[in-house]
Amino acid sequence: MSIASRRRVQLAVLLGPVSLFLAVFFLGPLAIMMVTSFLAPGLYGGVEWTFYPHNFGRILGFADPMFEDFDPVYIAIFIRSVKIAALTVLAALLVCYPAAFCIARLSERWKNFCLFLITLPFFTSLIVRLFVWVLILRQTGLVNEMLMSTGMIARPLDLIYTDGAIILGMVYVFIPFMFMPVYASVEKLDWTLVRASLDLGAGPIRTFWRIILPLTAPGIIGGAIIVFIPALGNFVVPAVLGGAKVMMLGNLIEQQFLAARNWPFGSALAMLVMSVMLVLLLVYVFASSRRGADAALNR
Amino acid sequence: MKIAQTLFRGGLVAYTGLFFAFIYIPLVVIAVYSFNSNPVNMMTWTGFTTEWYAQVLGFKTTVSENALYIESTGQLLQAVWNSLVIATSTTLIATVFGTAIAIGLYRFDFLGQRFYRVIMFMPMLMPDIVLGIALLIFFVNSGIHLGLTTIIIGQCTFLISYVFIVVSARLAGMDRTLENASADLGADEWTTFRRVVLPQLLPGIVGGALLAFIISMDDLVITYFIAGVDVTTLPMFIFAMLRRGIKPEINAIAVMMLTFSFVVASLGLYLRSRQK
Repeated sequence: MSIASRRRVQLAVLLGPVSLFLAVFFLGPLAIMMVTSFLAPGLYGGVEWTFYPHNFGRILGFADPMFEDFDPVYIAIFIRSVKIAALTVLAALLVCYPAAFCIARLSERWKNFCLFLITLPFFTSLIVRLFVWVLILRQTGLVNEMLMSTGMIARPLDLIYTDGAIILGMVYVFIPFMFMPVYASVEKLDWTLVRASLDLGAGPIRTFWRIILPLTAPGIIGGAIIVFIPALGNFVVPAVLGGAKVMMLGNLIEQQFLAARNWPFGSALAMLVMSVMLVLLLVYVFASSRRGADAALNR
Repeated sequence: MKIAQTLFRGGLVAYTGLFFAFIYIPLVVIAVYSFNSNPVNMMTWTGFTTEWYAQVLGFKTTVSENALYIESTGQLLQAVWNSLVIATSTTLIATVFGTAIAIGLYRFDFLGQRFYRVIMFMPMLMPDIVLGIALLIFFVNSGIHLGLTTIIIGQCTFLISYVFIVVSARLAGMDRTLENASADLGADEWTTFRRVVLPQLLPGIVGGALLAFIISMDDLVITYFIAGVDVTTLPMFIFAMLRRGIKPEINAIAVMMLTFSFVVASLGLYLRSRQK
């Protein structure tokens, strides 16, 4: 056997089975979901094999005129979800960004220890970490008990089952996702540029906006994207901390699949979540490759 | 200026202290209150007890049967067992597949290699609800009975990516001159792989496997959609209990899970830092 054909065999052995597995069980399901999103829902929960574009129309409020009137409830849920995910990103950034500066300037030993402490929760059960907040926030939870016993409030506050509770829960769960990329770019920050800016007469605030922020922007944008994507379609956090009052895209999708049994509409909603993800990633890849090109030209 | 700077530094340190308090105080709080004997209001301290732990573990307790109950210790143990079976199988499959892809993409140059790399990141970035329902539609349409098998297959689709990334990182930092030396000294390709490449790669493979195991044990959303009606995993069990109402026993389960994963993760991260 020649070397070339032997290597081809090796490559086929290494990649063949996995490629087949992922083609069938990853790309296959996504393709079927895409097809389903264009089919008509059956009367009793199945699908009918006819082309039916109204699933996507329904999201925007223009449903099948035969059955439904204009109903913007779904677009409202979508906007709400985007708003909550965006606020989560913002809050997570405010929590992580200053801490990243402090930790980046520690000695090697302490730095590693702090990073260990931040990644550790990532390895513990998500549902357990959310449960903790239920105990803290609910009517008879820790915060209300403490405030009541000190006499600061007469009746329990509504802390849980609010948008704030969802955002708090998501920030808590996604801290490592935001911290790591932000920290990576803060640690790489060239402090001589900051000193130069200060020496040349720029004030601290101006130095922050003109030097520090642009230089750490890649980490901020990276962190924002990997927090925004899972936050947008999240259904566990709203289910646990948002109660029944607050509907997000994730809960709506779950409902279409497990309760309403309208799979085509649920698929269309999932396609929406997926396309938001793809657009964000494309923007990110495009932006970072352009930045790379700029850097190369300036050199 | 000096004073302002000192103040700013101090503020930053205080902020970072709060940051860690935000992460860890909630966990400490439930650990403490899991020993609270108050059965009705879990956050009002009435005394120390290990009752809830005893009940979760199925020991005889003094709590009257009808006042409070854990759904059933049998169900809980079954859920733990299911999770362990699933995590062990997925870890094995994902580790073999993920390592194979990592080696394949590292050793060989071929058309579409970059595309392949991008595809490998997709399952990780895909929102889990999207992957969950896509798999549900797929399995139902292809007539595969929902259960342990579908959970294992479904989890593997994204766990392969995690193993791939960890092993790839290890491969990228590897010293290729050793391989050349081995070949120069007359070892054939297989011997070189077994005696030189594999030992160097092992920490990466073990790290990837550990990560896959933990993520599999913790996965809720994808498993939730493709589990069918017969199989319940540990996260699903807790999720269901939370939706029905909160009882002190969940607290005990939560603290035991936290302790377990802290020990495993610390061990894994410690071993990794030793090997550097």
